[in-house]
Amino acid sequence: MVEIPFIQRVIAVAWPSFLTAGLATILFFVAFDPQDLAALLGKTKSSRMGVYTVGFFLFWLLTLTSCLLTCYFQRPCETKNA
Amino acid sequence: MSENKPTVKPSAAAVSESDPESSSFYAKHKKVYPREVHGIFRNLRTIGILVLLGLYYGVAWLQWDGHQAVLFDLPARKFYVFGLTFWPQDFFFFAWLLVIAALSLFYFTALAGRLWCGYACPQTVWTEAFLWIERKIEGTRGQQMKRDKSEMSATKFRIKALKHIVWIAFALFTGFTFVGYFTPIRELAGNILSFSLGPWETFWILFYSFATYGNAGWMREQVCIYMCPYARFQSAMFDKDTLIIAYDEKRGEPRGSRKRGIDPKEKGLGDCVDCTLCVQVCPTGIDIRNGLQYECIGCAACIDVCDDVMDKMGYEKGLIRYTTEHNLSGQKTKILRPRIIMYTLLLLALAGGLVYAVSQRVLLELDIIRDRSGLYRETDEGLIDNIYTLKIINMDQKPHQYELSVSGLEGMELIVKKPEITANSGEVVDLPVTVRLDPAVLERASNEIEFTLTAKDDPELTRTETGRFVGPRI
Ligand code: SF4
Ligand code: SF4
Repeated sequence: MVEIPFIQRVIAVAWPSFLTAGLATILFFVAFDPQDLAALLGKTKSSRMGVYTVGFFLFWLLTLTSCLLTCYFQRPCETKNA
Repeated sequence: MSENKPTVKPSAAAVSESDPESSSFYAKHKKVYPREVHGIFRNLRTIGILVLLGLYYGVAWLQWDGHQAVLFDLPARKFYVFGLTFWPQDFFFFAWLLVIAALSLFYFTALAGRLWCGYACPQTVWTEAFLWIERKIEGTRGQQMKRDKSEMSATKFRIKALKHIVWIAFALFTGFTFVGYFTPIRELAGNILSFSLGPWETFWILFYSFATYGNAGWMREQVCIYMCPYARFQSAMFDKDTLIIAYDEKRGEPRGSRKRGIDPKEKGLGDCVDCTLCVQVCPTGIDIRNGLQYECIGCAACIDVCDDVMDKMGYEKGLIRYTTEHNLSGQKTKILRPRIIMYTLLLLALAGGLVYAVSQRVLLELDIIRDRSGLYRETDEGLIDNIYTLKIINMDQKPHQYELSVSGLEGMELIVKKPEITANSGEVVDLPVTVRLDPAVLERASNEIEFTLTAKDDPELTRTETGRFVGPRI
């Protein structure tokens, strides 16, 4: 198997997760207004931009994890016994 | 269908998987120095790029009816597109628009190949702008290559530093404009000038600037090859009647250099003089003479340069040209094929539907929220009170006065504390109301009732929402 260069691998993990995180952020915040969410948590002062941004990065963390795991499990299993 | 597919040569990535030898091709990326071209397609592209850049940097500053003409106001959760205002509730239209956009891309791809990539894609547009800056500062392709090979010197450092400073400044302005589509750009500019920019805006301006600088300055064609999802699947939409850029192999081969004025036929040569100029101008660094490749972004630079060569040699232009596979093999190109007709009809229907749906939008939103403190209240006279908060959003561009009514149960009395229900354009009004009823008419504990809100000046502007009226158990 050919080694995929490191930078290529970084793109393969970071880029799709970025796209899906962006999509998830849009869908999530269309449904929920950050200010309502903040009110639920009992916070009165919060900027919507701030909540959007934090929300986006939380989503990215999630999708990044799953992309990383895909990348990890894609490696061939070791076949020492063969 | 599969027989009608054009033959796409395996990409570098595909080759490298099966052939370890060539994996070095993208393991260690070789910088592509596209040579400058002149010609008709170059001019067309320049016009296209200038128009698009002008739109991008200009539209953000347009005003309309006292607000920014195009503004996806995220902090306020309102989207302005000229005379229309959209709300998160209108997300459906946005999704619809995306479907239309995707379908148009399919349509144009089937018809005209990668016209989008070569002329309109932001990646191309900004890469071209960055290349232009690079050429202005670093000089021609040859000068750039020589400088990059040379040892670091004061002059080299100065030139490189200048290039990056100009790039970064341009990228920052791009990032600023981008954020200016999501928070009002005039406010944003004011905040920057008074050094009072919010942390989140600052972050996103830097984020987008960095992305621009990285993608257009450094990554360039690699974005198209490795990151663009469209580039990966576009060939699926190609058929033998799709407009492509191709090298006329029959006419060009066997290639070979020659002196001017020599009859190529005598030497057994085709029209290609093997000057490799078409490779030197290619922004993705491929050789179009190897056939249709998925790295080709259809920029037509190789057409312009080869036409020049043909002119100088006194041959007919068009050794590399816009054509179709059918045309190349001597058959006729069919433009109106079933898939094109289907796409056209579908697009027309979707676009028409969207325009109709947007024009039929009711610019009023009503939400019924029951009071949380208790199910119901009994008055001294033995009547039942239910308390609600009505959330009214006036999505219209002008203020309205509304009339509220309730129906569903016999003899309900609607008590509104405010004498008038009014909402300014874009305003969200919380209206506490009480519905009072004699429990004798109740047959069940929980009953459905309907609230109807209608604008006084426009009976079409009306919304009806269902709420619940709760009484004692029977
Ligand atoms: S530019 Fe034209 S003549 Fe020169 S190598 Fe390319 S195809 Fe041949
Ligand atoms: S092969 Fe020609 S049209 Fe395709 S990217 Fe290269 S120069 Fe542009």
